[in-house]
Amino acid sequence: MDKQNDSLLHTENLTKDFGKLRAVDNLSLSLEEGEIRGLIGPNGSGKTTFMNLITGVYKPTSGGVYFSGRRIDRLSPESITHQGIMRTFQVARLFGDMTVLENMLIPAFTQGTSKREASHRAKELLDFSLLGRLSNEPARNLSGGQCMLLQIVRGFMRQPLRLYLLDEPFAGVHPTIKDVMIETIQKMNREEGVTFLVVSHELTVVRRLCTRISVLHGGRLIAEGTMKEVANDPRVIDSYLGG
Amino acid sequence: MKKTSEARISELKWYFLSLAVLLVVWLLPFWTGQYYLQVFTIAFYYVVLASSWNLIAGYTGQFSLAHHAFAAIGGYTSALLVTHSGFPIWMGILAALLSSTLMGFILGVLCLRMRAIYLAIATWAFAESVRIFISMTYEITRGDLGLAVPKIFLGEGRGVACYYLFLGLAVVTVLVIIIINHSKMGYYIRAIRNDEMVARVMGINTTRWKIFAFIISSGIAGIAGAFYGHYNGLLTPVMVDFNEMAFIVIMVVIGGIRSIAGPVIGAIFIEILTETFREFGEIRMVVFALAVIVIARLYNEGAMGAVRRFAQGISRRKQAREGLT
Repeated sequence: MDKQNDSLLHTENLTKDFGKLRAVDNLSLSLEEGEIRGLIGPNGSGKTTFMNLITGVYKPTSGGVYFSGRRIDRLSPESITHQGIMRTFQVARLFGDMTVLENMLIPAFTQGTSKREASHRAKELLDFSLLGRLSNEPARNLSGGQCMLLQIVRGFMRQPLRLYLLDEPFAGVHPTIKDVMIETIQKMNREEGVTFLVVSHELTVVRRLCTRISVLHGGRLIAEGTMKEVANDPRVIDSYLGG
Repeated sequence: MKKTSEARISELKWYFLSLAVLLVVWLLPFWTGQYYLQVFTIAFYYVVLASSWNLIAGYTGQFSLAHHAFAAIGGYTSALLVTHSGFPIWMGILAALLSSTLMGFILGVLCLRMRAIYLAIATWAFAESVRIFISMTYEITRGDLGLAVPKIFLGEGRGVACYYLFLGLAVVTVLVIIIINHSKMGYYIRAIRNDEMVARVMGINTTRWKIFAFIISSGIAGIAGAFYGHYNGLLTPVMVDFNEMAFIVIMVVIGGIRSIAGPVIGAIFIEILTETFREFGEIRMVVFALAVIVIARLYNEGAMGAVRRFAQGISRRKQAREGLT
């Protein structure tokens, strides 16, 4: 059943069990259109599982995911993508045998964009992200940071992109590439109105990028607010210090 | 995005090389005798099977072991309709295309969600069922005795006509694979082989495209089987023997999986070798199998991979020399 809700993304009592392990526990979270939200929490707090639930990689044990008021948790990953939701993976997952350019074209092709149009946008995005000179290089030849960058930029090929979920996009990335990533994210948020949910352990980057932050612990949402607010929350301090 | 001039030159080189090879193959009947004409005709039949199997196993990454069964389904469909129901041969071949595509669709829907080893086992089981079914339904198929099939060309020039027919089939198959490769479908199936989950997250309906690739591949095998039946004049369950599938795999692996030219080179090379060493019987299969093991272990891109690396080596050396001067 669809829901009347002003939020772009809304999860309601979302729960995911793996056998006896509860990875996500009654999680209700809303994301407003146009914001860049940070999602933080210690290892094993359920951040990636939460992303997998939103993108249809996992089906929830109970609860629901609503996007623009429409229930999406029963849809396949590809149908969810067609709603305007894209994601990246914690470990960059590219099509290694295909070139950088070919990697870029695929999300555009799946929404019916012509090769000419898609190539034009790909060139613009690759040039902006300093990957232009590697266009014809097989993706497997890229460095770890370049893979991460390409993974992010590839998602922007979908138009309109309404929600972009980034799973640890800055992990192990050189500061120069990190700056390019941040700049690209801010540009797409400003110019194309893309909403972001950024999972990261790098709190300095999260502070720089995100207006609001949600904190998970043991699959539950334990705090939400600005960085200053959550940083002073005793439950957050406890969870990070293992209390 | 425009291609670099180097890429264009390389593409042009390939076009000219392909045209030159085609010209030689076109003129071959004027130089060679009936025996080698026959060898090449069968080689072209295997080019069709190997190239279409490369589409599903190489590009899409679905390791099907039922390809020879689709050829048999096509072959027997056409042969039975022409023999028992008096269909003209062209209609029999059309029916072969339909039956093999339909069976490809059914098997695809049932099996293509399976992972690697399970898919291989399921398709192998399907092929074995087809073989046993043909052997058992003696009243219709004449079982192991073989079914006599009306031949497609008669008269003195039959050998040459069949040669060009199968050459045409092989060329059309290769062109179809090239077109698919450059189309959106080509991008999708390669993405699926690389990482199916990411392909789904990028918006690709992976099941649909895998089934589609399987249908095309099965349809091509079915047509090839039908033409083979009408060329050979006899169909037996040997056509669905596992050795046949092994031959197709060997041809693709030795020639170079996931390349256009690989299965073509592999099919022609292995067919010529098979005929040359016919007197050694089944021991040939052992030698071919050993060659596959060595290639898979040391050089998994096959002959085409070796050619590509050699060309890249020359190009790098040339660039280094130019850099020094």
